Amino acid sequence: MRNYKYIYMKRIQYFIVSIIGMMLLACSGDDSVIKDEEKPTISLNYIDGFPQTCSVLKRGSSYDFRALVTDNFELASYSIDIHHNFDHHTHDDQGVNCELEAVKTAVNPLIYMENYMIEGGVDEYEIIVTVEIPEDVDTGDYHCQYSVTDKTGWQGRTSIDIKIVE
Amino acid sequence: MIHKLIGGILYLSICSLAMAQNTFNLEGSVLDAASKKPVTGATVLGETRYAVSDEYGHFNFDELPEGVYEFKVAHMGFADQTFTVVVKPGLQRVMVYLETVSTALEAIELHGVSDRKESRTIPLVSESVNKDFLDKNRANSLMQTLEKIPGVSTINIGSGQSKPVIRGLGFNRVAVVQNGIKHEAQQWGSDHGLEIDQYGIEAIQIIKGPASLMYGSDAIAGVVNIKPSLIPQQNTFEGEVNLLGETNNDLLGVSAGLQSRKEHWYYRGRFTYRDYGDFKVPTDRINYENYIFELHDHNLRNTAGKEANASFNLGYVSDNFKSETSISNVNTKNGFFANAHGLEVRTSSIDYDRSNRDIDLPYHTVNHLKVTNSTTLITHGKTHVLHFDLGYQSNHREEHSEPVPHGYMPKPADSRERVFRKNTFSLNLNDKMSVLNRHELVAGFNLEYQHNDIDGWGFLIPAYQRFSVGGFAYDQVEVDQQLHLQAGIRYDLGIIHTEPYYDWFQSQINNEDGTTSRVYLQRSQDKRLNFGSFSGSLGIAYTLDDTNFKVNAGRSFRMPLANELASDGVNYHMYRYEKGNSELDAEASWQLDLEVDHIRDNYYLGVSPFINYFENYIYLNPTSDYYETLQIYEYTQSEVFRYGGELKAGIRFFERLQLDASGEYVYSRQTSGPKEGYTLPFSPPLSGRFSAAFQFDDTWFFKQPMLSMDYKIAAAQKEIIPPEEITDGYQVMNFSLNMKVGLLSGLPSMSIRFNINNILNTKYFNHTSFYRLIDVPEPGRNFSISINQSFNK
Repeated sequence: MRNYKYIYMKRIQYFIVSIIGMMLLACSGDDSVIKDEEKPTISLNYIDGFPQTCSVLKRGSSYDFRALVTDNFELASYSIDIHHNFDHHTHDDQGVNCELEAVKTAVNPLIYMENYMIEGGVDEYEIIVTVEIPEDVDTGDYHCQYSVTDKTGWQGRTSIDIKIVE
Repeated sequence: MIHKLIGGILYLSICSLAMAQNTFNLEGSVLDAASKKPVTGATVLGETRYAVSDEYGHFNFDELPEGVYEFKVAHMGFADQTFTVVVKPGLQRVMVYLETVSTALEAIELHGVSDRKESRTIPLVSESVNKDFLDKNRANSLMQTLEKIPGVSTINIGSGQSKPVIRGLGFNRVAVVQNGIKHEAQQWGSDHGLEIDQYGIEAIQIIKGPASLMYGSDAIAGVVNIKPSLIPQQNTFEGEVNLLGETNNDLLGVSAGLQSRKEHWYYRGRFTYRDYGDFKVPTDRINYENYIFELHDHNLRNTAGKEANASFNLGYVSDNFKSETSISNVNTKNGFFANAHGLEVRTSSIDYDRSNRDIDLPYHTVNHLKVTNSTTLITHGKTHVLHFDLGYQSNHREEHSEPVPHGYMPKPADSRERVFRKNTFSLNLNDKMSVLNRHELVAGFNLEYQHNDIDGWGFLIPAYQRFSVGGFAYDQVEVDQQLHLQAGIRYDLGIIHTEPYYDWFQSQINNEDGTTSRVYLQRSQDKRLNFGSFSGSLGIAYTLDDTNFKVNAGRSFRMPLANELASDGVNYHMYRYEKGNSELDAEASWQLDLEVDHIRDNYYLGVSPFINYFENYIYLNPTSDYYETLQIYEYTQSEVFRYGGELKAGIRFFERLQLDASGEYVYSRQTSGPKEGYTLPFSPPLSGRFSAAFQFDDTWFFKQPMLSMDYKIAAAQKEIIPPEEITDGYQVMNFSLNMKVGLLSGLPSMSIRFNINNILNTKYFNHTSFYRLIDVPEPGRNFSISINQSFNK
């Protein structure tokens, strides 16, 4: 009886030791790939940066929207989104508070949503997009949001409170 | 009580005798197999003599002449155990582990084995917890209570809701089974919890590995099996009332249960109500990207909630037949953090700070109704055990938020953003056959039909119907008492039909000729998809004295979900555009598990490593492209390699001081696809837990006062994937005092538990919390008191 048990024990021990060995072997191949773990950033904090918080845009005019985007590794695309904030649903992240007009209902608000590619896998890029403000859109408080991605899929975002006037 | 008295007298009388020559002293301990705590008052019955275990679980037979003896150990509420001892020089201490089991169930499974033995003879790596563990560790949600088990963590949202994560995988990769029926809600969502009443649960088994063989799709990473409660003893009437109060979120909870049995018929009923306010975090402001949210009085605004649950079970049991029908309803309403939900930043004119108990927008409501029947029938001279589970579940979830225009969507008319109505019908049937004495063959099938309707102005997943059927057979072979083998195979077939969905508003699209037009965009397609997959497992379990070895290799699968196949819409909360992929295959995973457990009288050691390979893990990949200025996230499949495991150890000194330590680690790598080299989302960090419990003497009217300290340490999680952020390591300390107080005469002692969580009010982040994404720390210091009074007749 004891012998029988002993043989089993030995066999099982060998089996388990070899499995642990296999596991260690399988796990030892470490990855030396450097991973991109940085989000791209957007800056409007320079002379040409536009719009700035509380910028006032006139209907019927066009403006060059400009922002500097940087990343550690290959910028890929960006987007600009302008939508109304007549219901005060959100606020910007520029650290400055812009006085909002009274809450109102939208009739024909400006909806601007455009996506662009950044070619060439650069790490620095200046966004320059000409945006035309149509004559017939509602005036009032708006939001402008810049978003940018890099090749990995990291995203940076920023948003600015602006106003559209007559 | 009488047993104890007689035992004591016997013990004393035996001790007082002088030891004669050629006789031996047999000593042993009776322990609860699950909690490793001593079992007091167990009868150890020999042919001519018997003993009763004392308060430390010890028993003793003096003056046994050399020879072979057989003993039977019995205690109410535990399965009987027998052991044989050869009394001769060098006699060792005997350890008896009793497993909780109802006496009626035990009668039904006469030829079967007890749970404890089962867990040692089945190669699956699993952990069992009992009511004692649940009572002593009860946290705000069931899964948070189970988090103390190495290898188990949670994905949380707020203070009262969480979902299970086993070794780093969660959502639909962990099956939650209650009364034999798979719990079917909206498992894929990270912003709601498990709709199960955590009171009244007596035993839970957690399988830490692929278990599709027995549980089908979704059990690819593990199973949380909430076992049916024990059948009450004959001619009894019992009840309990539990009161709970907490300071961090001003929680008040009450749960009351009743159960009774005549001879064959029994019933159980329970009602639970919990109401809590906003939870407090140890910070004055939340910094999320460039936004700053000032908090009023540390309250995470609008995270209050309430929960009302009721259940009723009716059962019949006889020697060869048992049937139990259960009806339960769980109803919850929870607020979400008002300043940001998901990644979406919000402002509102709602005065959230006027009260910390009101639930304003955004919030959700969930109602989960479950009706199940489990029937067991023993036939053919006890060689066949037939088992049926029949279930109906209705999950109704509504997500409400302030109507806000987004993109081309005008301001919606009401707050009903998303509504899901999911109905699930399940049928399981299996036959356990005892063949050739050494084999136990189990064959059966599972059927499930699901119907999911959607409503509301937000679109995330399509309406769908899903039908799945799986057939399986496995054999458990007892080679000898020490060595057991298990092998099984299963095939599953699934059909998913997704319904088409069009936006309720028009979007502007640019035509090729430079013009623009306004259309109702189609978000999901009318599609019928079929899936089929094999699963199987092969394992051995081997017991050598106090050491138990397990090796198990298995293949499991998971059917893709409707959102993975057919999403095509904006998830505003997460600020992303989610795109499904109808080309996805069923996920398949291979895993090799190992477990070594060594349990002795006063210490235990365990290690359970695993390696795992996914052929095609389904992953929501953040791409670098945009759709209507939102980043596109697309469901893709990649190979994933993972390994890790758990370590645990514990020791008891002088029957008073219990020290436990455990650690867990998971490494995950995507080895192909667009995120090759990256980990998986929500990866839990390396963590460890140390606890010390000290049992004091009874003082005054406090009985069994036990003081325990618990220290959790987690390393930083630097393995991240977009859009996650690195989470720093942390250390948290918890304190608890448990005792019994016998104040009311004629009633059993009242159990009182006093807890302090996060004693130092440490500000820390949990990498697997939904609120981690917006930089919300975990709850601050919390004092809680829980009182449990049982009564019986």
